[in-house]
Amino acid sequence: MQPITYNLPVYDLLTVEGVARVHNMSMRILRELGIDFYDDEARDILRAHGADVRGDTVFFDEELLLKYVGMAPSQFTQLARNPQNNVNIGGNNMVFAPVYGCPFVQDRDGGRREATLRDFQNFVKLAYMSPYIHHSGGTVVEPTDEPVATRHLDMLLSHITYSDKAFMGSVTSGNNAADSVAIAEIVFGAERIREHPALLSLINVSSPRRFDDRMLACIKVYARARQAMIITPFILAGAMGPTSVAGTVAQLNAEALAGIALCQMINPGTPVVYGSFLSTIDLQSGAPTFGTPESQTALYISAQMARHYNLPFRGGGAFSSSKQPDAQAGYESVMVMIPTVMARTNFVLHAAGWLENGLVSGYEKFVLDCEILGMLHTWARGVDLSDEAFAMDAFAEVPPGGHFLGTAHTMRHFRDAFYRAELFDYNSAEQWELNGGHDTYDRASARVKQLLASYEAPALDAGVAQRLHEFVAQRKAAIAVEPRDF
Amino acid sequence: MDFSDLSDEDLWLQMQDDLYDGMKEEVAAETREALTRGFSPQEVLGQGLVAGMDIVGVDFRDGVLFVPEVLMAANAMKAGMEILRPLLAETGAERIGTMIIGTVKGDIHDIGKNLVAMMMEGAGFEVINLGINNDADKFLEAIKTHQPDIIGMSALLTTTMPYMKVVIDALGEEGLRDTLYVMVGGAPVTETFAKAVGADAYGRDAAVAVELAKAYMAKRRAA
Ligand code: B12
Repeated sequence: MQPITYNLPVYDLLTVEGVARVHNMSMRILRELGIDFYDDEARDILRAHGADVRGDTVFFDEELLLKYVGMAPSQFTQLARNPQNNVNIGGNNMVFAPVYGCPFVQDRDGGRREATLRDFQNFVKLAYMSPYIHHSGGTVVEPTDEPVATRHLDMLLSHITYSDKAFMGSVTSGNNAADSVAIAEIVFGAERIREHPALLSLINVSSPRRFDDRMLACIKVYARARQAMIITPFILAGAMGPTSVAGTVAQLNAEALAGIALCQMINPGTPVVYGSFLSTIDLQSGAPTFGTPESQTALYISAQMARHYNLPFRGGGAFSSSKQPDAQAGYESVMVMIPTVMARTNFVLHAAGWLENGLVSGYEKFVLDCEILGMLHTWARGVDLSDEAFAMDAFAEVPPGGHFLGTAHTMRHFRDAFYRAELFDYNSAEQWELNGGHDTYDRASARVKQLLASYEAPALDAGVAQRLHEFVAQRKAAIAVEPRDF
Repeated sequence: MDFSDLSDEDLWLQMQDDLYDGMKEEVAAETREALTRGFSPQEVLGQGLVAGMDIVGVDFRDGVLFVPEVLMAANAMKAGMEILRPLLAETGAERIGTMIIGTVKGDIHDIGKNLVAMMMEGAGFEVINLGINNDADKFLEAIKTHQPDIIGMSALLTTTMPYMKVVIDALGEEGLRDTLYVMVGGAPVTETFAKAVGADAYGRDAAVAVELAKAYMAKRRAA
């Protein structure tokens, strides 16, 4: 795995005054309008720590909010099964994670279909094998062939079995979050995960201005176990937020900070990531739209706000509304990924595989996105200004009009001098035709097959594996007799 | 608002225009004016409201109108319908239909469901929107209160989609299933899934939902 650190100038879109104006507007929203929390205990906690609770709605004043937001660490390390794959979240570090949540998968040969546990495992394998994906993610696809009540166990087990990269916890209920913590304890040890989190879970704010009961149940479980969370307002501007960037970002900022403050009230120092999942809707049909320029502006601003509060930032992804890994998918994804990197996003969910507004995980799309992620690694590294990089000896060797192909400097560097995309074709037209005239979709399809065929599982301690399987079997048996609560 | 100088023909046109422009008060006033002129509630509905909403429907489909404009138009339609509905009932006219729609338990996605509700209202249906996170009891209660023709359920999560079956089974237990038309929808829902849970129809989008509902009501009237 190749870590990626951002060594370029950070693109701050707003002036200091602009940041202050967004902040002030968010404070106004929190003070005058408040945020709804649909959980009695959560509201009790908020009240006990000084927030003004009226009915379901919680009002915050600035001083109280910032006091608790200030308790969140600005950087933390998430443990991976293989310590070499531990990820640092915050600062100049960037972490790329796979697509999340899609109920369908798509590939060239099989078309669009409901996702299964097998697909889930395939995506975990692809993420494990890519040097440019640093994290195994969470619900890489929704395994719709497994019973809803026990699916989370199969997903967690698959992450641990087929990968040794860090992974995310379940957020489908408080009980499922507790199962995730129990599993992390088996793999990493109960004490160890309290020092460094082994789970990073996705808490969505159900915008506008609303935390639902499931998310709050999960926040309580994870905060108490000191596991990391990404607090993400998910706003499709136009529907869940106003049609203007400034207002939408102020709303997002208010919602994220309120959730982060709650986590700190429950357990000061709980690692959290300030999340921003912000796109637009097509106001002519109501359909979600991704890769729109307005959402990029909003991404930059929300990243800047997270830096303002000294918090790690999540945003962006290889988003697209396209149904296939076609031109639209490529353009839209890159339109978002470049700002994602330039905003110095610390955690990038959906960095590979996303299609059709998040309904579909695409196999070919996944490997194509990884290709772009590879390029972004090179780009984010910045410029080497060492003597070796200035290459005086090479100039000395080459007379005016000569070439550099044989210099000692070139011999030292040619193998990794330039990023070579494996899935893009650099041949002459004639050669390309001789090779079969394949397009990127064909090549990506072949690549997926080749990767899955050559996959080898990372080692897993036999004792740990046994305890995991016992735990899963025992939970499945218990869940089978529990009354089904949808 | 004074419409006395408008000919009947111009009144219909004015009504259609105002509907298109989402002018709620105007449409209500024009509805009353047409009734005062002696037109039957059914004539007002057909020549004014429905004719106007047909144009809105076409322009929405063709991408001329934006969602907020359709929302305003649907609200204007609703204002007119509120005046006409009791009169239509009195005259024993054929009802356009009543629908109860809600997102199922555990699910709070409602943008798509609200679009469906809006388009249904635009088509003249009376819509009772139960909002989000509805368990079977809420659906049953609403059915008893409102005596709908159609039940619409929305779910956007594979974890909440199975709850549609819970509601459909509950309808069966209460002996309500056969008299109701059950439509389901939401991005991850498919035709196959709809069949599997025992729904009558799957609606890919709001426009399809309206077509299905209209076709069902027509069939029911014919029966
Ligand atoms: C917007 C959105 C949200 C918003 C919803 C805001 C709101 N007020 O509705 C918020 C942020 C709250 C949200 C939360 C979550 N979401 Co969400 N969300 C979406 C998203 C991006 C778009 C949905 C949408 O509004 N589409 C626009 C409307 C117009 O389309 P539509 O809903 O499909 O409706 C049309 C048709 O389906 C049909 N229709 C709809 N209902 C009905 C009903 C009837 C009767 C008929 C006939 C037709 C019909 O007509 C509509 C109009 O044309 C989808 C992805 C996607 N592309 O669908 C994910 C998605 C559905 N969400 C997902 C997830 C996982 C979640 C969360 C669990 C995330 C989290 N970790 O917190 C939470 C769950 C909260 C909860 N308890 O429900 C997953 C679900 C996948 C799965 N595994 O099941 C998806 C697919 C995204 C993803 N890849 O993760 N989400």
